[in-house]
Amino acid sequence: MRGGAIPLLAWGTLLLVLLLGNWVWTQDTVQVGLFAMATGIIYATAALFIALNRQAVRRGPPAPASEPEAIPAASLAAVLVGLSIACIGFGLVWAGFLIYFGAGILVLSLGRLVLELRAELRAVGTLGEPPR
Amino acid sequence: MTATATPVPAQSRVSGWLGAATSTDHKRIGLNLGLCSLAFFALGGLFALLMRSQIAQPNEHFVSDNTYNQLFTMHGSTMIYLFVTPMAIALALYLVPLQIGAASLTAPRLASTGFWVWLCGGLIMESSWLTADGAGRAGWFSYVPLSNGTNTPGVGQDLWVMGVLLAAIGMWVMGGCVVATIGRRRAPGMSLMRMPVFTWTALASMLMVLGAFPALIIVMSLLFIDRHGGHIFVGFNGEIDYQDLFWFFGHPVVYVMFFPYLGAAAEAISVNSHKRWFGYGAFVGSIMLFAALSMSVWAHHMFVTGGVTNQYFAFTSTALAVPAGIEYFDAIATMVGGSLVLRTSMLFGITFFVQFLIGGLTGIFVASPVLDYHVNSSYFVIGHFHYTLFAGSVFGFFAGVYHWFPKVTGALLRESLGKLQLAIMIVGTNMTFFPMFILGEDGMSRRISRYPTHPGWGTLNLIESIAAGIIALGVLTFLVNVFVSLRTRVPAGPDPWLGQTLEWAAPSPPPPLNFDGPLPPIRSYAPLLDLRHERHDRQSHEARQEIAS
Repeated sequence: MRGGAIPLLAWGTLLLVLLLGNWVWTQDTVQVGLFAMATGIIYATAALFIALNRQAVRRGPPAPASEPEAIPAASLAAVLVGLSIACIGFGLVWAGFLIYFGAGILVLSLGRLVLELRAELRAVGTLGEPPR
Repeated sequence: MTATATPVPAQSRVSGWLGAATSTDHKRIGLNLGLCSLAFFALGGLFALLMRSQIAQPNEHFVSDNTYNQLFTMHGSTMIYLFVTPMAIALALYLVPLQIGAASLTAPRLASTGFWVWLCGGLIMESSWLTADGAGRAGWFSYVPLSNGTNTPGVGQDLWVMGVLLAAIGMWVMGGCVVATIGRRRAPGMSLMRMPVFTWTALASMLMVLGAFPALIIVMSLLFIDRHGGHIFVGFNGEIDYQDLFWFFGHPVVYVMFFPYLGAAAEAISVNSHKRWFGYGAFVGSIMLFAALSMSVWAHHMFVTGGVTNQYFAFTSTALAVPAGIEYFDAIATMVGGSLVLRTSMLFGITFFVQFLIGGLTGIFVASPVLDYHVNSSYFVIGHFHYTLFAGSVFGFFAGVYHWFPKVTGALLRESLGKLQLAIMIVGTNMTFFPMFILGEDGMSRRISRYPTHPGWGTLNLIESIAAGIIALGVLTFLVNVFVSLRTRVPAGPDPWLGQTLEWAAPSPPPPLNFDGPLPPIRSYAPLLDLRHERHDRQSHEARQEIAS
C-alpha cells in the first residue's frame, strides 16, 4: 500500500531526535535503552511494511488493489489461541496443570488455524474459475 | 471502489453468541471490546463509590485499611487497563476501517486473539478479589519494593500482575492491527493527508501503544519473576529501574487514553459546525509531535526520587503545551463562522475541551519540579489526572458515543436525555474533582484510608463523595437513554448529521464488508462534504443557466 510506512518513519525519526536529547542530557542507560526499544519497534514495523510492498515509502494516494482477497468472517482458532494463552498465564499463578492444558489447546488451535488459512486460499483460488 | 478489489468472505457466517464471540469483523471485535470495557467501567465506578464512602468523613470505618488499599488499586487498574485504554482501542477498531474505506482490518484473527487475551486478563485481574489475601493492593503502578513477594505476599497480587500482563499483550496486539490497517488498507485515493481527523488521532494513539506497551509487558513479567524469588528489582537502582520501565508505559498511556477521544470530539465539533476541521495540516503535525513528546516525559512522575535528570523531563513536559495549544486553536477556529448545531455530541465535544483545559493547565504546573515537590503524593495530583482522564477523556468518549451511536445501531439517541446527562455529569465532575486541588494544596495525602479532623477537609470530602454519586447518576441517565433509544427506535438512516467522512457513506449499521456500493471519490479528508459542495455548485450553476435562458 502506497505511503503506509511514511507516518511510522516520520514518527520514528521524531522519537530518535528525542532519544538523542535524552542520551546527551541524562546519560542514563536504562532510559536510553527503553527509548531505543520503542524507536526500534516503530522502525521495524515500517521496515516490515516496506518489505511487504515497496510502494509503502512512496507518497500519494493508493491505487486500487488488483488481487482478490479472502476476508474471514469468523475464526474459532483465533479465539482458542487467545484463551489458551490466558490459560497458560492463569496456570502460572494458580494451578500448574492449566499450563499443560493451555499448551495443548494452543497446539490444537494452531492446527485449526492452518485449516482455516487453507480454506481461505481455496476460496480465493476458486474465484477465477468458471461456474459449474 | 473499495480497498480490496474483490473481498471474498472465507467462511459462512455464524449467528448468535458463538458468532459474536468468534467473529473477525472489525465492527464486532470493536463492539465486544467496547461493551466489555463498559462493564469494567461500571465495576471501577463501584470501587470509586466505595472509596469515597470511606473517606467522606474524617476517621470513617466503612471499610478496613487493607480493603481500602485493594479498592484504590483495583479502581485505578480497572479504569486504566480495562476501561479507558481498551475503549480508545475499541473506537479505533470499529471506526478506522470505515473511515479509510477498508472492508476489514489487517490480520483480523490477530485482533480477535488480542481481544480474548485482554478479556481473560481483565477477568484474571478481577478474580483476585476471590482470593484469601484479597485483590491487588500495591497501587495501579505496583512500585517495588511494596509489590514484591515479601511486602505484598499472596495469590491476589500475583493474579493482578498476570491480569495486567495479559491485558497489555492483548491491547498491544489490537493496537498493532489498527496501525497495519491504516498502513495497508486505505481505499484508492485515500492518501495519508486525506485521512480523517479521528483516524490520525487513532494512528498517533496506536503508534504509542506499539512503542510503549512492550515496556509494561516486560516490567510485569519481571515483577512476576521478582515475586517468585527472582530478586530483580533490588536496592535503590532496582526501584528506579522499575519506575523507569513502568512509567515508560505509564505516561504515554495517558495520551493513548486521550488522542482518540480528542479525535471523537473534533469530529463532533466539525460536523456540528458544518465546517471542515480548521488547520488540518497543522493538526496532523501537532498530533504526531504531541505523541512523540509524550513518549519522552515519563520520568516527570519520578521528580522526587532523586534518580532522574529533572531538567530534561521538565523541558519535554512543558513543551507539550505547544501542540496542545494548536489543537485548542483549531477547535475554536472550526467553530468560528460555522453554522453551529448544539446537539449533545457537540456539547460533549466542547465540554471535553473546556474540562481537559483544567487538567492540562495543572499539568504544566506539575511539570515544574519545584512545584511538583510541593504537591507530590497529595490530592492535587489526583485532581489533575482525574481532570485529564475523567473530565477530559470520558467527555470525549461520550461525544463520540452520541456522534456514532446512530451509525453503530441505526437508531438515534434521545437528545433531551443526552443533554440531561451532560448537565448532571458537568456538575458531578467538577464537584468531585475540583475540591481535590484545594485539599492537595492544603496537604491532604493521597492513598490514605482515614484522615484526622482538619478544618475544611471533612466538608470538602463530603462534597466530593456526594458528587461521585451524581456522576454515577449521569452514567445511569446514559444507560436509560440507550435502553429507551433501542427499545423505541427512531431510525437514523445512513447519515443523520450530514457527516463529512466515509463512514457516513455506509448504511447504518454497516454491513459485514462495510460498504454496499462504490465509495464516493476521495479528494480530501471530508469526501462527503466535497460531494455536497459539488452538488450545491452544480445546482447553483444550473439555476443560473435557467435564469439566463
